[in-house]
Amino acid sequence: MIGNDVVDIIQSRKESNWQRRGFLDKLFTISEQQLINHHPDPETMVWLLWSMKESAYKIYNRQTGIRAFIPLQLECCKISQNDKGFTGEVHCKRFIFYTESEILEDIIHTKALCSKGLFNKITEVKNAAVVKDISGFPYIYGHQNKTLEPVSVSHHGRCHKVVKLL
Amino acid sequence: MNKEDLIAKLKVIVKPYTTNTVAYDNLNENTDFINDLNINSANLVDIVLDIEEAFDIVIENADMERMLDVKTAVEIIETKLAAK
Repeated sequence: MIGNDVVDIIQSRKESNWQRRGFLDKLFTISEQQLINHHPDPETMVWLLWSMKESAYKIYNRQTGIRAFIPLQLECCKISQNDKGFTGEVHCKRFIFYTESEILEDIIHTKALCSKGLFNKITEVKNAAVVKDISGFPYIYGHQNKTLEPVSVSHHGRCHKVVKLL
Repeated sequence: MNKEDLIAKLKVIVKPYTTNTVAYDNLNENTDFINDLNINSANLVDIVLDIEEAFDIVIENADMERMLDVKTAVEIIETKLAAK
């Protein structure tokens, strides 16, 4: 299963004030707040961690059918930076989700998977005709419109992304 | 505060985060913040913080986790106000 999330930082500046009192405490664990506060660019770190939680939650929600606002239970860890962006893990109860994030022109795009080795199997679907099932989970029509393939959809500000696993 | 007043107060709080005006105009107990009002999930925390300020209450994480619709929000606010 796959989850993705985009954050357009330009849009976030209009919609959210991450420096508001109580904001970080309600969304981020102590260790995540330390990562944010010690980073040279705390704003990017806030939205990077947020997109990790959101993309992981999309899998959690789809797998368990549980809908809840649980940012503190989705704990980001093992974050490391490489030439393309960031990789990390999100732990939630008994689940571990793996994430890869790219940052380009103030847009953060994070993809989450249950398995580390499948990131090269993720493909972006352009101009996708997305349909939803009764629970609201998104799909696209597959081969000759005979199958439904699960996708993950994310939209924020200037950016709209639909991804699926090959 | 009765339930109508409480919902009216909540309606003012959620307004700046709402992008679906039709659903907003028809806001009622069954309105879902994300599915109906189209509120960005990052703004759910602003709603929680605004509620804390407006009603002078503290909302614990366990309550915040359930706060996805008007009905649950009203329930939580009522419980907190009663405990004051």
